Amino acid sequence: MVWLQLVATRLTQAVAMALVLATLCFGFVQALPGDLATRIAAARVGEDRLTPEIATRIRAQAGLDQPVLVQYGGWLADLARGELGRSLVTGEPVVAEFRYHAGHTLVLGLLGWALSYLIALPIGLWAGLRPGGWVDRISDAAAVLLASLPPFLTGIALISLFALTLTWLPPAGFGTWAHRVLPALTLALGLAAFAVPVIRTAVVEVRGAFYITYAQIKGLGETTAFRHHGLRNAAIPIVTYAALQMTFVIDGFVVIETLFNHPGLGAWLVKALLARDVPVILAASLAIGFLFSLVSLITDALCLALDPRARAASVRLGRGWSAR
Amino acid sequence: MNRAVILALVLVVGGPWLAPYDPMEQNLLAVLLAPTWDHWLGTDHLGRDVLSRVLAGAPRSLGLALGCVGTAVALGCTLGLMAATGGRWLGALIMRGADLVLAFPGLLLALLLAGFLGGGVGPMLFGLTLTLWPQYARMTQAVARRALAEPPVEAARLAGFTTLAILSSLVLPVVLRALLPLATLGVGQAILSISALGFLGLGLRPPEPEWGAMINDLLPVLTEAPVQMAAPCLAILTAVLGLTLAGRTLLARQQHSL
Repeated sequence: MVWLQLVATRLTQAVAMALVLATLCFGFVQALPGDLATRIAAARVGEDRLTPEIATRIRAQAGLDQPVLVQYGGWLADLARGELGRSLVTGEPVVAEFRYHAGHTLVLGLLGWALSYLIALPIGLWAGLRPGGWVDRISDAAAVLLASLPPFLTGIALISLFALTLTWLPPAGFGTWAHRVLPALTLALGLAAFAVPVIRTAVVEVRGAFYITYAQIKGLGETTAFRHHGLRNAAIPIVTYAALQMTFVIDGFVVIETLFNHPGLGAWLVKALLARDVPVILAASLAIGFLFSLVSLITDALCLALDPRARAASVRLGRGWSAR
Repeated sequence: MNRAVILALVLVVGGPWLAPYDPMEQNLLAVLLAPTWDHWLGTDHLGRDVLSRVLAGAPRSLGLALGCVGTAVALGCTLGLMAATGGRWLGALIMRGADLVLAFPGLLLALLLAGFLGGGVGPMLFGLTLTLWPQYARMTQAVARRALAEPPVEAARLAGFTTLAILSSLVLPVVLRALLPLATLGVGQAILSISALGFLGLGLRPPEPEWGAMINDLLPVLTEAPVQMAAPCLAILTAVLGLTLAGRTLLARQQHSL
Protein backbone atom coordinates (compact mmCIF):
# COMPACT_ATOMS: atom_id res chain seq x y z
CA MET A 1 0.00 0.00 0.00
CA VAL A 2 2.76 2.41 1.01
CA TRP A 3 4.79 1.38 -2.01
CA LEU A 4 1.84 1.86 -4.34
CA GLN A 5 1.23 5.37 -2.98
CA LEU A 6 4.88 6.24 -3.41
CA VAL A 7 4.95 5.10 -7.03
CA ALA A 8 1.64 6.84 -7.76
CA THR A 9 2.84 10.16 -6.30
CA ARG A 10 6.11 10.14 -8.21
CA LEU A 11 4.44 8.99 -11.42
CA THR A 12 1.85 11.78 -11.24
CA GLN A 13 4.63 14.29 -10.69
CA ALA A 14 6.60 12.95 -13.65
CA VAL A 15 3.58 13.12 -15.96
CA ALA A 16 2.76 16.66 -14.77
CA MET A 17 6.37 17.65 -15.40
CA ALA A 18 6.31 16.18 -18.90
CA LEU A 19 3.11 18.11 -19.59
CA VAL A 20 4.69 21.39 -18.42
CA LEU A 21 7.79 20.77 -20.55
CA ALA A 22 5.73 19.93 -23.63
CA THR A 23 3.54 22.99 -23.14
CA LEU A 24 6.59 25.22 -22.69
CA CYS A 25 8.14 23.94 -25.92
CA PHE A 26 4.85 24.23 -27.80
CA GLY A 27 4.39 27.79 -26.56
CA PHE A 28 7.94 28.62 -27.60
CA VAL A 29 7.40 27.29 -31.13
CA GLN A 30 4.17 29.30 -31.42
CA ALA A 31 5.81 32.47 -30.13
CA LEU A 32 8.74 32.36 -32.54
CA PRO A 33 8.54 35.09 -35.16
CA GLY A 34 7.92 34.08 -38.76
CA ASP A 35 5.94 31.28 -40.37
CA LEU A 36 6.54 27.85 -38.83
CA ALA A 37 5.83 25.88 -42.05
CA THR A 38 8.36 27.97 -43.98
CA ARG A 39 10.96 27.38 -41.30
CA ILE A 40 10.41 23.62 -41.25
CA ALA A 41 10.54 23.56 -45.05
CA ALA A 42 13.79 25.53 -44.99
CA ALA A 43 15.27 23.12 -42.48
CA ARG A 44 14.23 20.13 -44.58
CA VAL A 45 15.16 21.14 -48.15
CA GLY A 46 17.59 23.99 -47.50
CA GLU A 47 17.06 27.76 -47.78
CA ASP A 48 17.99 27.97 -51.48
CA ARG A 49 15.56 25.32 -52.73
CA LEU A 50 12.61 26.62 -50.74
CA THR A 51 9.40 27.38 -52.68
CA PRO A 52 6.00 28.54 -51.37
CA GLU A 53 4.49 25.25 -52.66
CA ILE A 54 6.70 23.17 -50.41
CA ALA A 55 5.76 25.35 -47.46
CA THR A 56 2.06 24.97 -48.25
CA ARG A 57 2.40 21.21 -48.56
CA ILE A 58 4.20 20.99 -45.23
CA ARG A 59 1.60 23.24 -43.63
CA ALA A 60 -1.18 20.85 -44.68
CA GLN A 61 0.88 17.74 -43.89
CA ALA A 62 1.83 18.84 -40.38
CA GLY A 63 -1.62 20.27 -39.69
CA LEU A 64 -0.24 23.77 -39.17
CA ASP A 65 -3.38 25.27 -40.78
CA GLN A 66 -5.49 23.91 -37.89
CA PRO A 67 -6.55 25.96 -34.83
CA VAL A 68 -3.90 26.25 -32.10
CA LEU A 69 -5.76 24.06 -29.61
CA VAL A 70 -6.10 21.24 -32.16
CA GLN A 71 -2.38 21.52 -32.91
CA TYR A 72 -1.62 21.42 -29.17
CA GLY A 73 -3.71 18.25 -28.81
CA GLY A 74 -1.94 16.68 -31.77
CA TRP A 75 1.45 17.62 -30.33
CA LEU A 76 0.63 15.97 -27.01
CA ALA A 77 -0.77 12.88 -28.75
CA ASP A 78 2.42 12.50 -30.79
CA LEU A 79 4.43 12.84 -27.64
CA ALA A 80 2.37 10.22 -25.81
CA ARG A 81 3.10 7.82 -28.66
CA GLY A 82 6.80 8.56 -28.28
CA GLU A 83 7.09 10.40 -31.60
CA LEU A 84 9.56 13.13 -30.92
CA GLY A 85 10.30 14.03 -34.54
CA ARG A 86 13.61 14.92 -36.10
CA SER A 87 16.32 17.35 -35.07
CA LEU A 88 15.99 20.63 -36.96
CA VAL A 89 19.78 20.88 -37.19
CA THR A 90 21.02 17.40 -38.11
CA GLY A 91 17.77 15.96 -39.55
CA GLU A 92 18.36 12.75 -37.61
CA PRO A 93 15.49 11.14 -35.64
CA VAL A 94 15.62 12.51 -32.10
CA VAL A 95 15.23 9.04 -30.56
CA ALA A 96 18.42 7.78 -32.19
CA GLU A 97 20.41 10.81 -30.99
CA PHE A 98 18.91 10.39 -27.54
CA ARG A 99 20.23 6.84 -27.19
CA TYR A 100 23.75 7.95 -28.06
CA HIS A 101 23.80 10.87 -25.61
CA ALA A 102 22.01 9.02 -22.79
CA GLY A 103 24.65 6.32 -22.82
CA HIS A 104 27.45 8.84 -22.36
CA THR A 105 25.58 10.58 -19.53
CA LEU A 106 24.85 7.33 -17.69
CA VAL A 107 28.48 6.21 -17.80
CA LEU A 108 29.75 9.59 -16.61
CA GLY A 109 27.05 9.86 -13.93
CA LEU A 110 27.65 6.43 -12.46
CA LEU A 111 31.41 6.93 -12.56
CA GLY A 112 31.16 10.32 -10.84
CA TRP A 113 28.70 9.07 -8.26
CA ALA A 114 30.77 5.99 -7.39
CA LEU A 115 33.95 8.08 -7.21
CA SER A 116 32.25 10.60 -4.92
CA TYR A 117 31.36 7.89 -2.41
CA LEU A 118 34.85 6.48 -2.65
CA ILE A 119 36.05 9.93 -1.55
CA ALA A 120 33.25 10.93 0.80
CA LEU A 121 32.53 7.74 2.79
CA PRO A 122 35.95 7.25 4.41
CA ILE A 123 36.40 10.98 5.07
CA GLY A 124 32.86 11.44 6.40
CA LEU A 125 33.10 8.36 8.63
CA TRP A 126 36.48 9.38 9.99
CA ALA A 127 35.34 12.96 10.64
CA GLY A 128 32.18 11.69 12.34
CA LEU A 129 33.99 9.17 14.53
CA ARG A 130 36.51 11.79 15.66
CA PRO A 131 34.54 15.07 15.68
CA GLY A 132 36.78 18.08 16.27
CA GLY A 133 39.84 16.16 15.10
CA TRP A 134 42.10 17.33 12.30
CA VAL A 135 40.34 15.25 9.60
CA ASP A 136 37.03 16.78 10.66
CA ARG A 137 38.34 20.35 10.59
CA ILE A 138 40.17 20.03 7.27
CA SER A 139 37.32 18.19 5.54
CA ASP A 140 34.78 20.75 6.79
CA ALA A 141 36.82 23.65 5.40
CA ALA A 142 37.41 21.82 2.11
CA ALA A 143 33.72 20.98 1.77
CA VAL A 144 32.63 24.60 2.31
CA LEU A 145 35.24 25.81 -0.17
CA LEU A 146 34.28 23.25 -2.83
CA ALA A 147 30.57 23.93 -2.38
CA SER A 148 31.27 27.62 -2.99
CA LEU A 149 32.87 26.90 -6.35
CA PRO A 150 30.72 26.55 -9.44
CA PRO A 151 31.37 23.10 -10.99
CA PHE A 152 32.93 24.63 -14.09
CA LEU A 153 35.61 26.31 -11.94
CA THR A 154 36.52 23.01 -10.28
CA GLY A 155 36.73 21.58 -13.77
CA ILE A 156 38.92 24.40 -15.05
CA ALA A 157 41.22 24.01 -12.04
CA LEU A 158 41.55 20.26 -12.70
CA ILE A 159 42.16 20.88 -16.41
CA SER A 160 44.91 23.39 -15.73
CA LEU A 161 46.55 21.09 -13.19
CA PHE A 162 46.29 17.63 -14.76
CA ALA A 163 45.97 18.43 -18.47
CA LEU A 164 47.91 21.67 -19.04
CA THR A 165 50.61 21.58 -16.34
CA LEU A 166 51.23 17.88 -15.71
CA THR A 167 49.87 16.73 -19.13
CA TRP A 168 48.80 13.38 -17.65
CA LEU A 169 45.28 13.50 -19.09
CA PRO A 170 43.55 15.01 -22.14
CA PRO A 171 41.83 18.35 -21.34
CA ALA A 172 38.57 17.70 -23.21
CA GLY A 173 36.83 15.57 -25.80
CA PHE A 174 35.79 11.95 -25.66
CA GLY A 175 36.66 8.50 -26.91
CA THR A 176 38.93 6.79 -24.42
CA TRP A 177 38.56 6.19 -20.69
CA ALA A 178 41.24 8.79 -20.05
CA HIS A 179 38.81 11.40 -21.37
CA ARG A 180 36.30 10.41 -18.71
CA VAL A 181 38.61 10.80 -15.71
CA LEU A 182 38.56 14.60 -15.35
CA PRO A 183 34.81 15.11 -15.91
CA ALA A 184 34.02 12.27 -13.50
CA LEU A 185 36.44 13.68 -10.92
CA THR A 186 34.87 17.16 -11.25
CA LEU A 187 31.44 15.67 -10.71
CA ALA A 188 32.67 13.54 -7.81
CA LEU A 189 34.35 16.45 -6.00
CA GLY A 190 31.18 18.55 -6.24
CA LEU A 191 29.10 15.65 -4.92
CA ALA A 192 31.54 14.80 -2.15
CA ALA A 193 31.45 18.42 -0.93
CA PHE A 194 27.78 17.87 -0.11
CA ALA A 195 28.06 14.25 1.01
CA VAL A 196 30.90 14.59 3.55
CA PRO A 197 29.04 16.92 5.98
CA VAL A 198 25.89 14.78 5.72
CA ILE A 199 27.76 11.55 6.46
CA ARG A 200 29.68 13.22 9.29
CA THR A 201 26.52 14.60 10.96
CA ALA A 202 24.71 11.27 10.59
CA VAL A 203 27.59 9.41 12.22
CA VAL A 204 27.93 11.94 15.05
CA GLU A 205 24.22 11.82 15.80
CA VAL A 206 24.03 8.05 15.78
CA ARG A 207 27.11 7.73 18.00
CA GLY A 208 25.47 9.98 20.59
CA ALA A 209 22.19 8.05 20.51
CA PHE A 210 20.98 6.23 23.59
CA TYR A 211 20.86 2.82 21.88
CA ILE A 212 24.59 2.94 21.21
CA THR A 213 25.26 3.80 24.85
CA TYR A 214 23.00 0.92 25.81
CA ALA A 215 24.81 -1.47 23.50
CA GLN A 216 28.10 -0.42 25.06
CA ILE A 217 26.74 -0.88 28.59
CA LYS A 218 25.57 -4.29 27.43
CA GLY A 219 29.23 -5.01 26.81
CA LEU A 220 29.76 -4.54 23.08
CA GLY A 221 32.92 -2.83 21.91
CA GLU A 222 32.67 0.63 20.35
CA THR A 223 33.20 -0.63 16.79
CA THR A 224 30.87 -3.60 17.13
CA ALA A 225 28.12 -1.45 18.64
CA PHE A 226 28.40 1.02 15.78
CA ARG A 227 28.48 -1.70 13.14
CA HIS A 228 25.46 -3.56 14.50
CA HIS A 229 23.21 -0.72 15.65
CA GLY A 230 24.58 2.47 14.14
CA LEU A 231 25.21 1.87 10.44
CA ARG A 232 21.60 1.35 9.38
CA ASN A 233 20.42 4.40 11.33
CA ALA A 234 23.21 6.54 9.93
CA ALA A 235 22.33 5.37 6.41
CA ILE A 236 18.85 6.94 6.48
CA PRO A 237 19.82 10.63 6.30
CA ILE A 238 22.68 9.76 3.93
CA VAL A 239 20.33 8.05 1.49
CA THR A 240 17.70 10.80 1.85
CA TYR A 241 20.31 13.34 0.96
CA ALA A 242 21.19 11.45 -2.22
CA ALA A 243 18.07 12.92 -3.85
CA LEU A 244 19.24 16.47 -3.19
CA GLN A 245 22.63 15.45 -4.48
CA MET A 246 21.14 14.26 -7.71
CA THR A 247 19.83 17.79 -8.26
CA PHE A 248 23.43 18.86 -8.20
CA VAL A 249 24.48 16.03 -10.49
CA ILE A 250 21.99 17.19 -13.06
CA ASP A 251 23.08 20.85 -12.91
CA GLY A 252 26.61 19.53 -12.89
CA PHE A 253 26.05 17.38 -15.95
CA VAL A 254 24.92 20.30 -18.04
CA VAL A 255 27.89 22.44 -17.07
CA ILE A 256 30.57 19.74 -16.85
CA GLU A 257 29.63 18.08 -20.13
CA THR A 258 29.70 21.43 -21.89
CA LEU A 259 33.07 22.31 -20.36
CA PHE A 260 34.69 18.97 -21.24
CA ASN A 261 32.87 18.65 -24.57
CA HIS A 262 31.50 15.31 -23.40
CA PRO A 263 28.58 14.26 -25.65
CA GLY A 264 25.98 13.54 -22.94
CA LEU A 265 22.41 14.71 -22.42
CA GLY A 266 23.42 17.99 -20.76
CA ALA A 267 25.70 19.12 -23.56
CA TRP A 268 23.04 17.97 -26.05
CA LEU A 269 20.45 20.18 -24.32
CA VAL A 270 22.72 23.24 -24.22
CA LYS A 271 23.62 22.90 -27.89
CA ALA A 272 19.95 22.53 -28.81
CA LEU A 273 19.02 25.57 -26.70
CA LEU A 274 21.69 27.68 -28.41
CA ALA A 275 20.48 26.47 -31.85
CA ARG A 276 16.78 26.67 -30.84
CA ASP A 277 16.32 23.08 -32.01
CA VAL A 278 12.93 22.51 -30.34
CA PRO A 279 12.45 18.73 -30.85
CA VAL A 280 15.87 18.11 -29.32
CA ILE A 281 15.24 20.60 -26.48
CA LEU A 282 12.04 18.76 -25.60
CA ALA A 283 13.59 15.30 -25.84
CA ALA A 284 16.68 16.25 -23.81
CA SER A 285 14.74 18.03 -21.07
CA LEU A 286 12.24 15.18 -20.86
CA ALA A 287 15.08 12.69 -20.57
CA ILE A 288 16.81 14.70 -17.82
CA GLY A 289 13.50 15.22 -16.01
CA PHE A 290 12.55 11.54 -16.10
CA LEU A 291 16.02 10.52 -15.00
CA PHE A 292 15.61 12.80 -11.99
CA SER A 293 12.12 11.41 -11.21
CA LEU A 294 13.45 7.87 -11.38
CA VAL A 295 16.29 8.66 -8.99
CA SER A 296 13.88 10.39 -6.58
CA LEU A 297 11.66 7.31 -6.69
CA ILE A 298 14.56 4.97 -5.95
CA THR A 299 15.69 7.20 -3.09
CA ASP A 300 12.23 7.31 -1.52
CA ALA A 301 11.91 3.54 -1.87
CA LEU A 302 15.31 3.01 -0.24
CA CYS A 303 14.29 5.22 2.68
CA LEU A 304 11.12 3.24 3.18
CA ALA A 305 13.03 -0.02 3.02
CA LEU A 306 15.65 1.16 5.53
CA ASP A 307 13.34 2.88 8.01
CA PRO A 308 10.33 0.99 9.38
CA ARG A 309 9.27 4.17 11.22
CA ALA A 310 8.72 5.97 7.90
CA ARG A 311 6.61 3.06 6.66
CA ALA A 312 4.50 3.14 9.81
CA ALA A 313 4.17 6.94 9.75
CA SER A 314 2.99 7.13 6.16
CA VAL A 315 0.43 4.38 6.78
CA ARG A 316 -0.86 6.16 9.88
CA LEU A 317 -1.17 9.52 8.12
CA GLY A 318 -2.69 7.84 5.10
CA ARG A 319 -0.72 9.78 2.55
CA GLY A 320 2.16 9.31 0.18
CA TRP A 321 5.64 9.43 1.54
CA SER A 322 8.00 12.02 0.14
CA ALA A 323 11.61 12.37 1.09
CA ARG A 324 11.78 16.03 0.18
CA MET B 1 29.61 40.46 9.60
CA ASN B 2 27.67 43.71 9.41
CA ARG B 3 30.76 45.35 7.95
CA ALA B 4 30.95 42.64 5.28
CA VAL B 5 27.30 43.22 4.37
CA ILE B 6 27.93 46.97 4.01
CA LEU B 7 31.02 46.29 1.86
CA ALA B 8 29.00 43.96 -0.37
CA LEU B 9 26.23 46.54 -0.77
CA VAL B 10 28.77 49.24 -1.62
CA LEU B 11 30.18 46.95 -4.31
CA VAL B 12 26.75 46.16 -5.74
CA VAL B 13 25.64 49.77 -5.86
CA GLY B 14 28.96 51.46 -6.52
CA GLY B 15 30.85 48.72 -8.37
CA PRO B 16 30.49 50.19 -11.85
CA TRP B 17 31.13 53.67 -10.43
CA LEU B 18 34.41 52.55 -8.79
CA ALA B 19 35.61 51.02 -12.06
CA PRO B 20 38.60 52.96 -13.44
CA TYR B 21 37.70 52.27 -17.09
CA ASP B 22 34.58 51.64 -19.17
CA PRO B 23 34.07 47.84 -18.77
CA MET B 24 32.89 47.50 -22.39
CA GLU B 25 35.62 49.63 -24.00
CA GLN B 26 37.88 47.56 -26.24
CA ASN B 27 41.46 48.42 -27.07
CA LEU B 28 42.81 45.95 -29.60
CA LEU B 29 46.30 47.45 -29.29
CA ALA B 30 46.52 46.40 -25.65
CA VAL B 31 45.16 42.84 -25.49
CA LEU B 32 46.12 40.32 -22.79
CA LEU B 33 48.39 42.76 -20.96
CA ALA B 34 49.92 41.48 -17.75
CA PRO B 35 48.95 43.49 -14.63
CA THR B 36 50.50 46.99 -14.55
CA TRP B 37 49.82 50.17 -12.57
CA ASP B 38 47.42 51.27 -15.33
CA HIS B 39 45.58 47.96 -15.42
CA TRP B 40 45.80 46.38 -11.96
CA LEU B 41 44.44 43.04 -13.15
CA GLY B 42 45.60 43.29 -16.76
CA THR B 43 43.45 43.32 -19.87
CA ASP B 44 41.44 40.57 -21.56
CA HIS B 45 41.58 39.22 -25.14
CA LEU B 46 39.76 42.33 -26.44
CA GLY B 47 41.87 44.78 -24.45
CA ARG B 48 39.18 45.49 -21.87
CA ASP B 49 40.28 46.35 -18.32
CA VAL B 50 39.64 43.24 -16.19
CA LEU B 51 39.36 45.12 -12.86
CA SER B 52 36.64 47.34 -14.31
CA ARG B 53 34.80 44.32 -15.66
CA VAL B 54 34.93 42.44 -12.36
CA LEU B 55 33.66 45.53 -10.50
CA ALA B 56 30.94 46.14 -13.09
CA GLY B 57 30.00 42.48 -12.75
CA ALA B 58 29.03 42.91 -9.08
CA PRO B 59 25.55 44.34 -9.67
CA ARG B 60 24.96 41.83 -12.45
CA SER B 61 26.00 38.70 -10.53
CA LEU B 62 25.49 39.62 -6.86
CA GLY B 63 22.72 42.16 -7.46
CA LEU B 64 20.74 39.87 -9.73
CA ALA B 65 21.13 37.02 -7.22
CA LEU B 66 19.82 39.28 -4.44
CA GLY B 67 16.92 40.29 -6.66
CA CYS B 68 16.03 36.68 -7.50
CA VAL B 69 16.13 35.48 -3.90
CA GLY B 70 14.29 38.61 -2.68
CA THR B 71 11.48 38.07 -5.16
CA ALA B 72 11.38 34.34 -4.43
CA VAL B 73 11.19 34.97 -0.67
CA ALA B 74 8.40 37.52 -1.11
CA LEU B 75 6.44 35.17 -3.38
CA GLY B 76 7.10 32.05 -1.31
CA CYS B 77 6.24 33.87 1.93
CA THR B 78 2.93 35.18 0.55
CA LEU B 79 1.92 31.83 -0.92
CA GLY B 80 3.09 29.94 2.16
CA LEU B 81 1.01 32.18 4.47
CA MET B 82 -1.97 31.76 2.15
CA ALA B 83 -1.52 27.99 2.29
CA ALA B 84 -1.28 28.04 6.09
CA THR B 85 -4.35 30.23 6.68
CA GLY B 86 -6.53 29.69 3.62
CA GLY B 87 -8.92 26.82 3.09
CA ARG B 88 -7.92 23.21 2.51
CA TRP B 89 -8.23 23.46 -1.26
CA LEU B 90 -6.18 26.62 -1.59
CA GLY B 91 -3.50 25.14 0.64
CA ALA B 92 -3.42 21.89 -1.30
CA LEU B 93 -3.28 23.76 -4.63
CA ILE B 94 -0.32 25.90 -3.56
CA MET B 95 1.59 22.99 -2.03
CA ARG B 96 1.05 20.73 -5.07
CA GLY B 97 2.27 23.60 -7.25
CA ALA B 98 5.42 23.77 -5.11
CA ASP B 99 5.85 19.98 -5.39
CA LEU B 100 5.56 20.23 -9.17
CA VAL B 101 8.33 22.82 -9.41
CA LEU B 102 10.50 20.75 -7.04
CA ALA B 103 9.98 17.75 -9.34
CA PHE B 104 12.08 19.59 -11.94
CA PRO B 105 15.76 18.90 -11.49
CA GLY B 106 17.66 21.97 -10.32
CA LEU B 107 18.36 24.48 -13.01
CA LEU B 108 16.39 22.80 -15.82
CA LEU B 109 13.44 25.18 -15.68
CA ALA B 110 15.63 28.29 -15.44
CA LEU B 111 17.82 26.93 -18.23
CA LEU B 112 14.85 26.41 -20.56
CA LEU B 113 13.31 29.80 -19.78
CA ALA B 114 16.62 31.58 -20.28
CA GLY B 115 17.09 29.69 -23.55
CA PHE B 116 13.60 30.42 -24.83
CA LEU B 117 13.30 34.02 -23.69
CA GLY B 118 16.87 34.97 -24.61
CA GLY B 119 18.89 35.38 -21.41
CA GLY B 120 18.44 39.02 -20.43
CA VAL B 121 18.05 40.23 -16.85
CA GLY B 122 14.25 39.82 -17.02
CA PRO B 123 14.14 36.15 -18.12
CA MET B 124 16.89 35.23 -15.64
CA LEU B 125 14.98 36.89 -12.79
CA PHE B 126 11.77 35.16 -13.88
CA GLY B 127 13.31 31.72 -14.35
CA LEU B 128 15.32 31.68 -11.12
CA THR B 129 12.45 33.08 -9.04
CA LEU B 130 10.22 30.37 -10.46
CA THR B 131 12.69 27.65 -9.43
CA LEU B 132 13.43 29.11 -6.00
CA TRP B 133 10.05 30.04 -4.50
CA PRO B 134 8.82 26.53 -3.48
CA GLN B 135 11.45 25.96 -0.79
CA TYR B 136 10.52 29.27 0.89
CA ALA B 137 6.80 28.55 0.53
CA ARG B 138 7.22 25.16 2.21
CA MET B 139 9.27 26.57 5.06
CA THR B 140 6.80 29.46 5.53
CA GLN B 141 3.83 27.12 5.62
CA ALA B 142 5.45 24.83 8.18
CA VAL B 143 6.64 27.66 10.45
CA ALA B 144 3.39 29.64 10.11
CA ARG B 145 1.30 26.61 11.04
CA ARG B 146 3.31 26.13 14.21
CA ALA B 147 3.13 29.86 15.03
CA LEU B 148 -0.63 29.94 14.44
CA ALA B 149 -1.16 27.27 17.11
CA GLU B 150 0.61 29.35 19.80
CA PRO B 151 -1.31 30.91 22.72
CA PRO B 152 -0.59 34.56 21.74
CA VAL B 153 -2.34 34.00 18.40
CA GLU B 154 -5.30 32.47 20.19
CA ALA B 155 -5.44 35.45 22.53
CA ALA B 156 -5.22 37.92 19.64
CA ARG B 157 -7.99 36.12 17.80
CA LEU B 158 -10.23 36.21 20.88
CA ALA B 159 -9.45 39.90 21.35
CA GLY B 160 -10.91 40.44 17.89
CA PHE B 161 -7.84 41.17 15.76
CA THR B 162 -8.20 40.43 12.04
CA THR B 163 -6.30 37.55 10.42
CA LEU B 164 -4.18 40.05 8.49
CA ALA B 165 -3.18 41.87 11.69
CA ILE B 166 -2.30 38.59 13.40
CA LEU B 167 -0.28 37.43 10.42
CA SER B 168 1.70 40.65 10.10
CA SER B 169 2.44 41.16 13.80
CA LEU B 170 2.70 37.66 15.24
CA VAL B 171 3.42 35.23 12.40
CA LEU B 172 5.44 37.11 9.79
CA PRO B 173 8.32 38.05 12.14
CA VAL B 174 8.75 34.41 13.16
CA VAL B 175 8.62 33.28 9.54
CA LEU B 176 11.14 35.87 8.35
CA ARG B 177 13.54 34.99 11.16
CA ALA B 178 13.33 31.34 10.10
CA LEU B 179 13.82 32.20 6.41
CA LEU B 180 16.83 34.49 6.86
CA PRO B 181 19.59 31.81 7.04
CA LEU B 182 17.99 29.86 4.21
CA ALA B 183 17.77 32.99 2.06
CA THR B 184 21.39 33.94 2.81
CA LEU B 185 22.55 30.52 1.61
CA GLY B 186 20.11 30.90 -1.30
CA VAL B 187 21.79 34.09 -2.56
CA GLY B 188 25.08 32.20 -2.73
CA GLN B 189 23.45 29.37 -4.67
CA ALA B 190 21.80 31.92 -6.99
CA ILE B 191 25.19 33.45 -7.77
CA LEU B 192 26.41 29.97 -8.73
CA SER B 193 23.34 29.45 -10.92
CA ILE B 194 23.68 32.82 -12.64
CA SER B 195 27.36 32.23 -13.32
CA ALA B 196 26.62 28.71 -14.60
CA LEU B 197 24.04 30.08 -17.04
CA GLY B 198 26.46 32.81 -18.07
CA PHE B 199 29.20 30.23 -18.57
CA LEU B 200 26.92 28.13 -20.80
CA GLY B 201 26.19 31.18 -22.94
CA LEU B 202 22.52 31.12 -21.93
CA GLY B 203 22.62 33.78 -19.21
CA LEU B 204 23.52 37.43 -19.60
CA ARG B 205 25.03 37.76 -23.04
CA PRO B 206 28.50 39.00 -23.90
CA PRO B 207 29.77 41.74 -23.82
CA GLU B 208 27.90 42.06 -20.48
CA PRO B 209 30.56 41.79 -17.76
CA GLU B 210 28.86 38.96 -15.84
CA TRP B 211 31.38 36.82 -13.93
CA GLY B 212 30.36 33.46 -15.43
CA ALA B 213 30.25 34.86 -18.96
CA MET B 214 33.70 36.47 -18.40
CA ILE B 215 35.13 33.07 -17.45
CA ASN B 216 33.66 31.55 -20.59
CA ASP B 217 35.16 34.42 -22.62
CA LEU B 218 38.63 33.94 -21.15
CA LEU B 219 38.70 30.12 -21.24
CA PRO B 220 40.39 29.87 -24.69
CA VAL B 221 43.25 32.11 -23.48
CA LEU B 222 43.61 30.41 -20.06
CA THR B 223 47.34 29.73 -20.39
CA GLU B 224 48.21 33.25 -21.61
CA ALA B 225 46.04 35.10 -19.10
CA PRO B 226 46.02 33.31 -15.74
CA VAL B 227 45.62 36.52 -13.69
CA GLN B 228 42.75 37.78 -15.81
CA MET B 229 41.06 34.40 -15.46
CA ALA B 230 41.61 34.24 -11.71
CA ALA B 231 39.90 37.61 -11.11
CA PRO B 232 36.27 36.66 -11.91
CA CYS B 233 36.84 33.20 -10.39
CA LEU B 234 37.94 34.73 -7.10
CA ALA B 235 35.05 37.18 -7.24
CA ILE B 236 32.56 34.31 -7.44
CA LEU B 237 34.38 32.31 -4.79
CA THR B 238 34.59 35.23 -2.34
CA ALA B 239 30.94 36.19 -2.78
CA VAL B 240 29.59 32.65 -2.43
CA LEU B 241 31.96 31.69 0.38
CA GLY B 242 31.05 34.83 2.33
CA LEU B 243 27.34 34.17 1.94
CA THR B 244 27.71 30.49 2.84
CA LEU B 245 29.66 31.28 6.00
CA ALA B 246 27.18 34.01 6.96
CA GLY B 247 24.29 31.60 6.38
CA ARG B 248 25.95 28.91 8.48
CA THR B 249 26.55 31.37 11.33
CA LEU B 250 22.92 32.52 11.22
CA LEU B 251 21.73 28.92 11.17
CA ALA B 252 23.93 27.95 14.13
CA ARG B 253 22.80 31.02 16.10
CA GLN B 254 19.18 30.11 15.44
CA GLN B 255 19.59 26.51 16.55
CA HIS B 256 21.41 27.77 19.63
CA SER B 257 18.56 30.07 20.66
CA LEU B 258 15.91 27.40 20.23
